[in-house]
Amino acid sequence: MATVVGDRTFINGNLTGDEDLTVHGRVKGTIQIGKSLIVEPTGVVEAEVNVANAVVSGVVVGNITATDSVEILKGGRMVGDIAAPRVIITDGALFRGGIDMGEVKADESGLADARARAAAAKRGGGAPARAARPATPPRPAPRPAAARAATPPRPAPRPATPPPGRASDSPSAIASAAASTGASAPASPSAPKPPSPPGGRRKKILLKRR
Amino acid sequence: MATEGSGFIGKSITVRGTLQGEGDLVVEGTVEGTIELKDQLLVQSGGRVSADVQAANLTVYGELTGSVNATEVVSINAGARVIGDIVAPRVIIEDGARFKGRVEMEVPLPDGLRADGGRR
Amino acid sequence: MANANTIIGSSIVIDGEISGEEDLVIQGTVKGKVALKEALFVEHSGTVEADIQVSSVEISGQVTGNVVASDKVELKSDGRMVGDIKAPRVLIADGATFKGNIDMER
Repeated sequence: MATVVGDRTFINGNLTGDEDLTVHGRVKGTIQIGKSLIVEPTGVVEAEVNVANAVVSGVVVGNITATDSVEILKGGRMVGDIAAPRVIITDGALFRGGIDMGEVKADESGLADARARAAAAKRGGGAPARAARPATPPRPAPRPAAARAATPPRPAPRPATPPPGRASDSPSAIASAAASTGASAPASPSAPKPPSPPGGRRKKILLKRR
Repeated sequence: MATEGSGFIGKSITVRGTLQGEGDLVVEGTVEGTIELKDQLLVQSGGRVSADVQAANLTVYGELTGSVNATEVVSINAGARVIGDIVAPRVIIEDGARFKGRVEMEVPLPDGLRADGGRR
Repeated sequence: MANANTIIGSSIVIDGEISGEEDLVIQGTVKGKVALKEALFVEHSGTVEADIQVSSVEISGQVTGNVVASDKVELKSDGRMVGDIKAPRVLIADGATFKGNIDMER
């Protein structure tokens, strides 16, 4: 049992149901189904979407809330927020919006400070090429289901004054920075190599998963 | 793994401050502050970065909290835990990654479609 | 039965407008409006509460609303319709239920 919207069909309204929905054409409004939404490459969905799964190869403008997963495939484009426990953004997909997977066990207390620093840096003209949007205030609590464990606030990290002797932007500066800040054990045995000679070609590695 | 011109922060090292470099940086320890690299930042599994990051590429297997600005690609791999806002032309989030925050890529839309950025 | 590209399955409820340039099969529920350049098929499980504007429509389910067709309207033996029909050709099979006006004037 499956519903298909052909590529020359346009549905404008509220769509509810309990079967897979495959969109080759255009749907505008709201979509609420208990199964999967599949937006094919020619499909355009301008809607608030509430589904179990979503797989996007076409265009979605709107927010997607999924109980299982949201996947944006190569060639897919989405502008909107995603709330789902699993989110996959494939290389070649284009996405702009928020992603909320629920609780992420990392230290969130520095995020508000990070956003404030980012906003200050942009005002000072430090950001490269892209004109980013202004920083938003810290996010209010999202889904009622996502109970976020409260982490005790810790003092926000402030950039330390550079250690003496750090005169240049070379990688050896990192070694000296590492060595001079609170290392309880001796510096790592595989210390960075001396900087490459000026004009020498640096080999760039994009390290893959082991 | 480290090549000429790259930096490495070992598991037991904690750095607080501003890190800048012309090459790559591999983090297995802890970094808090700001990281600016011309090439790649790699946060290994077990690495913890609580910093604003500016780099060409960012690859995360460990933990990262902060604002990220990359000129090429950001890759959040399975097992990674990232909280922050990412601005980059390419962003990859693998199945099994944990992420919360914003992602800003350029998204051209078909004629007649406008988006307000998806604010709820 | 048509080899349609668009099929609204039996568990689907659409409250709104459907428009298009290809055949449409409705097995679920549609409330609102249907406007097609091609053919509409309301199957046995289909329920349509809408004004319909099509080239042709074949009804085996339930339709409440007015139908305007440029070619023909066919009410099958399990079809039930309440509303007005305006079409050059109208076929109502034995067993169908119909209540409304029919205008076959070209």
